[in-house]
This record gives sequence, C-alpha cells and structure tokens, in this order.
Amino acid sequence: MRRDLELDAIIEDYLSGKLSPAERDAFEQLRNNDPEVDSKVVAHKFFMETMNDYATQRSLKDKMDHIHATIDVDALSAKLGPHPSKIVNFWRRNRLGIAVAASFVILCSMVVENYFRQSKQVGSYEQLDRKIEKVKRSQDNLIRTVNSAAVADPKKSLKPGSFGGTGFAISANGYVLTNYHVISGADSLYLQNNNGESFRATPVFTDSQNDIAILKIADKNFSSFAALPYTLKKGKTGIGEVVYTLGFPKDDAVLGEGYVSSVTGFNSDSIQYQVAVQVNPGNSGGPLLDNAGNIVGMISGKDNRPDGAAFAVKSKYIMEAINSIPSDSLNKKISVSKRNLLSGLKRTQQVEKLQDYVFMVKVYKD
Amino acid sequence: MNKALNSSLPTDREVVLGILNNSDETLNKLYLGYFPMILQFILNNNGDEDDAKDVFQESVIVLYNKIKSGDFELSSKLKTYIYSVCRRIWLKRLAQNHKKTTNISDYEDVLVVDDDLEKHDEQDQRLMKMNEALEGLGEPCKTIIQDFYLNNLSMQDISEKFGYTNTDNAKTQKYKCLQRLKKIFFNS
Repeated sequence: MRRDLELDAIIEDYLSGKLSPAERDAFEQLRNNDPEVDSKVVAHKFFMETMNDYATQRSLKDKMDHIHATIDVDALSAKLGPHPSKIVNFWRRNRLGIAVAASFVILCSMVVENYFRQSKQVGSYEQLDRKIEKVKRSQDNLIRTVNSAAVADPKKSLKPGSFGGTGFAISANGYVLTNYHVISGADSLYLQNNNGESFRATPVFTDSQNDIAILKIADKNFSSFAALPYTLKKGKTGIGEVVYTLGFPKDDAVLGEGYVSSVTGFNSDSIQYQVAVQVNPGNSGGPLLDNAGNIVGMISGKDNRPDGAAFAVKSKYIMEAINSIPSDSLNKKISVSKRNLLSGLKRTQQVEKLQDYVFMVKVYKD
Repeated sequence: MNKALNSSLPTDREVVLGILNNSDETLNKLYLGYFPMILQFILNNNGDEDDAKDVFQESVIVLYNKIKSGDFELSSKLKTYIYSVCRRIWLKRLAQNHKKTTNISDYEDVLVVDDDLEKHDEQDQRLMKMNEALEGLGEPCKTIIQDFYLNNLSMQDISEKFGYTNTDNAKTQKYKCLQRLKKIFFNS
C-alpha cells in the first residue's frame, strides 16, 4: 500500500515532468523492465487526461450556467415558443412542408400549362364576324356589325344589317362563298358590292364543320358576273407563301397582306392555314389569294390574344364543299373558273379586278 | 430570430479565436447570440427551456472540443454548425424518450455532424464515469480531489483548509484519495 502510494506520486511527477533527469531515466528503466509499472503509467495517464477533460468541461459548464442566469428565458420563450394561435403555429411548424407543397403546386401548374402550350395554341379562337351586341368595337372578332344606314341603297329601304362579314364569288352565275359562322342564324342575307349595290342571297349549302357556307344570289336585279378573275388552288400552299385578302372590316374594302405562317390552323387544325395577315372583325369569309391570283383559302378567324395569328380554311376544303353539294339542289351548276386573270399583275391591279367579286355579307337577325 | 438578436452575433472568426484563447467574453457573446435560435428550435419541437439549455450547452462543448482539437474549419457558417449539432442531439433525445421524431421543423440548413457527435459521446461517457466515481468517493476525498484537480488549489491551500499539520500529510491524503478514485473509475 505504502509502495503503491509512492509509486503513484512518482508516476504523477513523471507525467507532469517534475522528475529530475536522473530520476526520470531511472524511472523509465523501471518502467521498461516492469510491465506492471508500465500499465500503471498508461492507466494513470488516461485517468489524468479524463480528469483534465472533466475539469475543463465542468468549468465551461459553470461559466455557461453563469451566462444562462443572465438571460430572461421566460421572455424569450414567450417570443420564440409556439404561438398560441393554431394557424401561426401550424405555419411555423410546417413552414418547410408548406413551402414544398406550394412549390409542387406551382411546378405542376407549370408542367400542365407547358403541356397545353405545346399541344395547343394559347388563347382561344375568335370567329371573325362582326356583332355589335357582343363585341362592339372589339378587334378580335371578325364579323362586323353593320349599323350604318348610309351604305344601304335608300330605294331598297333596307334596315341596317346587324352582322357583317365578307364573301366572294366562286362562280360567274352567282354563287358566293363565306363562312358558316357569318350567316348562321340569319333571317335574311344581303350581299353588298363595292359600288354600294345590295343583292339578296340565300344559303344553298352550309358546312359548320369546316365553317363554309355557299350562298346563291337570288335577286331580280342580278343577272351574272363577268368571268371570275381567280381560280381555286388545288394543291397545298407552303409556309412562306405571300398571301393577301380583301375584306370588309369596315364599310369599304380593306386589303390585308402577309404570308402563310403554318400549314395547320388553330390547335393544329389541319383544315386551316395559319396566316400572318392583319385581319379584323368583318374579315371573316374573305378570299385569301396568293401572288398568282389563286384562292388558297378563306379567312375564318383569329387567335383572340393581342397579335394573335389569323386562320384561313384551306382551298382544298372549299373545293370539297363545292363538290359535295348534290347537283339536284342547285338550279345552276357551280362552275369554278379555270382561267386566272390576276397572274402577273401588280397588287393594285389585282385588287382592282378582285373587288367586284368580293362582297360585304350583311346578316339580318331579329 | 429577431434582428436585434441577429445583429449581436459575434463573427465566426472572433468565436474561433476566442475559444482558442479561452476568452470568457467570447463565450458570453456566443451564448447570448446563439441560445435564442436553439431555444426557438427546441420549444417548437416538443421541448422546454431546460431541454434547450442542456442541448445548447452540449453543442457549445462539442464546438469547443472541435476547435481546441484543431480540426474546425470555417467551411460552413458557425450558426449552421451549432444548429446542426443541436438538432442531432435533440433528435437523439427524442428518440430515447420515444417521442415522435418525425416532423422536426427546421429553421436553418443542416450539416452532417455525426462524426463530431460520436467523438463527443465517447468523451461524454468517460466524463460521466469520472463524475460517478467522484460522487462515489465520499468526503473528504471528493473535496480534496476537486480542490486540487478542478479548482486548481495548491497543496498548501488544501492542507490549511482541511487543517493538516503539514503539506506532506495532505499530499499523502490526496494520493490515497486519488488511488481510491482510480479504483472506482477503472472498476466501474
């Protein structure tokens, strides 16, 4: 026991470097020769390190307790603890979850919107007829409301038409093409030419699917047109083809020019072309011609966003419509012109020739 | 965290240097600056003020050990480090008490601090053992050992305090006490 105590004292002095060099050498020799002494040194070293750590930690804890005592914990807790309100509490506790959920919803809506953006043109389709009750002066709708009495021939004492669109002759014997949506629900129809003359017309064929209507001029003042200057284009028209249209967004004919911008129409509808042509309410039913004077389509509507694209029914479907009319329902055959008189002319001359065959379609509904 | 508390935070560099120099002022700033963040975290995750105190103090100890051992790099913000350590400690305690540990609401980014805490746990166990050994030592040994090793009193002071006739007697008594303490420590 006594020896152990002395050994402990020596070990402690040895470890803390208090032994003289001679003592240290002697002790190290003892340590090398006696494994028991060596293990005691190791154990004591470990023990003292633990004691030191313990001392350090305790002193740190004491200091922290001292600092802690200076904090008004209750006041802090009241400020930082769970809020008495359940909603605030819920928000605090689930801030992360809510953020994730919100991000997810936003992401989903973006994905969905993106999907629709890809599969579908944004905006909605506007038929280009003019309706005063519905759209007043809206630029998106292309049937124009004809409420100006000035255009009507006073002798005929016509009431002002309530809707307006455009139509164009497809055969010299008085057949006129327009959009179905222009004339649908009409009580009576009048076609007014560029000279201000009005002719009564009746629909002989309608195709709501392709938005095509064929009217027959049924007026005793009308005999026949001169030979049509344009032909219906049978083939397809490619992107970039320069096209123009003549229509009646107001009471005088308006020329609109542009190009075919897509071979499909609204929502990739293959019945139509998309065209970069300035069109307005009243342009519906107007002829779309290429530079050579071929009818490549008929203006039928536009995307209702600002700067939205315009759409035109392809000539192929116009031809199909003409051919699908049962011949016994016609008292005169529709003979589409085969001679093109516009080809090679300047635009001004083309329009000059064209405008006798383009009509304002006035629709009366009550 | 309100702005006033945030603005009183010491800089990370200041804290590291202060800890290396055993600065009490740094400890004070560190404690006052970061305790509210941990209090908020604990209070909102099924804990009370005492839990917050324990957890936060433990995290400061972990931070001290890490900085003193020299392997603390200012790769992340100190705030993030303290928060991550406290979070880990608290999750462990919740698990030990079989409280629900899902839905921990986080207020900060979280670092992986498992290594540091493993070291800390190891040390903590040694120190717990030391504490138990000291508690089991009985008087006057406990006080003599504490005075000499923890409170850094000299043998002179101790022999006067306990009325020993000379320091050699006190020394002998201290060695006896130390021997008993070691016995308890190594055999427990």
